[in-house]
Amino acid sequence: MKRIIALTSFLIRDLSRSLAGVVPLALALAFGLIAFEYGMDQAQFITVAGIGMGAICLVSGLVLASRANRASSYLVVARLHRRAEFLAALVLSSLLITAALGLVVAIVNLLAGRLTLDFPSALWVLPTWLPLWLLTATLALPLSGLVERSGSHLFGYALLAGLLIANDRQAFLSSHGLVWLARLVDAILWPMSTLVGEASAGIHGREYLLAWALTSAYALLLFVLATSLFEDKDLLWSE
Amino acid sequence: MIRAHTLTKRYNGTTALDQLALEIPQGAVFGILGPNGAGKTTFLRIVMGFVLPTAGTIDRGGLAPANIGYLPERAFYPLRFTIRSYLDTMAKLAGLTGEPRHYEVARLLHQVGLSGVADQRLGTCSRGMLQRVGLAQSLLGDPDLLVLDEPVLGLDPAGQVFMREQIAGLDRAGKTVLLSSHHLDEVTRVCSHVAVLSQGRLVRSGPLHSMLAPRARVVIDTGSIPSELAQQIGDRLSNTTVHEQQIVLDGEAVEHKPMILRLLLDQGVDIRQLSEVRSTLEEVFMEVTEK
Repeated sequence: MKRIIALTSFLIRDLSRSLAGVVPLALALAFGLIAFEYGMDQAQFITVAGIGMGAICLVSGLVLASRANRASSYLVVARLHRRAEFLAALVLSSLLITAALGLVVAIVNLLAGRLTLDFPSALWVLPTWLPLWLLTATLALPLSGLVERSGSHLFGYALLAGLLIANDRQAFLSSHGLVWLARLVDAILWPMSTLVGEASAGIHGREYLLAWALTSAYALLLFVLATSLFEDKDLLWSE
Repeated sequence: MIRAHTLTKRYNGTTALDQLALEIPQGAVFGILGPNGAGKTTFLRIVMGFVLPTAGTIDRGGLAPANIGYLPERAFYPLRFTIRSYLDTMAKLAGLTGEPRHYEVARLLHQVGLSGVADQRLGTCSRGMLQRVGLAQSLLGDPDLLVLDEPVLGLDPAGQVFMREQIAGLDRAGKTVLLSSHHLDEVTRVCSHVAVLSQGRLVRSGPLHSMLAPRARVVIDTGSIPSELAQQIGDRLSNTTVHEQQIVLDGEAVEHKPMILRLLLDQGVDIRQLSEVRSTLEEVFMEVTEK
């Protein structure tokens, strides 16, 4: 665990001192300005900021993985007992960066009067977002060049795009005899949509907890997938 | 002890290593030689666990790759870190904590001669300084085995001497050092054992002294040789070259060395030096890689 924390600190410092570090910062700034333009209540905040910052978490993960996918990582990987530690540090770095940016976005908009939160129910916001961000942080791993094997990340991008498009076009699918596909997409996305939906409605019952657990399980599955791809991958970074 | 058992590595149909069988004794300074593309770096990467063999196995003698010090051929660093903060991070990854970590970083900075510039950014360091940083990080945690890929590549003469002294120090400390190099002279100076690879195959391996076996050539440096004597020796023996102050015996003529020495002494010729010529590593290298 100490190695993962040390590596997380190293990855964040490395990103913050590079030009690539501007990417999540710029995205958060744009998100904070655009999404909060007309103000937001707590229900909207949970949904919009949760998903928006989740997307920033995905991008942060991709940027971090991209920086890790180079020859300077030989010396880092050489020190690790398992390569999974490297992936864990990448996920933790993405989460911390997203949390810091999310906090700044929330505080700035609170101070500007464009965000209203009801305490103590607002304390449910972070536990709701955590599995979502964990999911997007782990999703970045198999989508990255660092972890991919034989173009597997392209398959991942295609699958993700297909899922999002199918979700957006559910009515079209149902009207064209593809009800099963619409239901499948619904079932796949149920944990995330339920998690956000229940939390927005202020309900934290059994369904919320089940959605929370399933979203976390998705993240765990993605991490296991990434680890299995990366653990015995030939690391051929050009020097 | 590291043992490679019929190690084979293929990349997209290209064979980088072909059934390599090699033993690296504990405490040896083992040099891996070979022309470009011979498989040296691939072998070192397999030892470090960066790439996996297509076939065969590598036995690291119970050492995990994390406990092996590693210096890549050309190390890349996060350029905005200072030397000290980078080494401190690597020390954390090596499992060092608290005061022992600070002490170890300071000790290694002193050992590689970078104490005075420890707060300089890596991006402003010269090639020689970066190589010293690389060596320092490889020594973190006091590993028993060090893998150095082309440790003197791109270094100026002073840097090469420094690196040679460091490797000699590791040898004295009983560490096992596995290094690859194109610098045959450097290998001759620091290595106790050598393996030569060519096209992924092992073509020669063993202790350096046995590699550089005496060649069938004797050179006798003398005072001035009378012309009659020179002619007499030249006429009587083939494969013998007589110069004004030197006689060179090649091949079978070496057997006549005692007779020639007697002749010279009988004639009162001063014998200044008698030397058996050994093969150079360059000759061995050229011989085995050009087959």
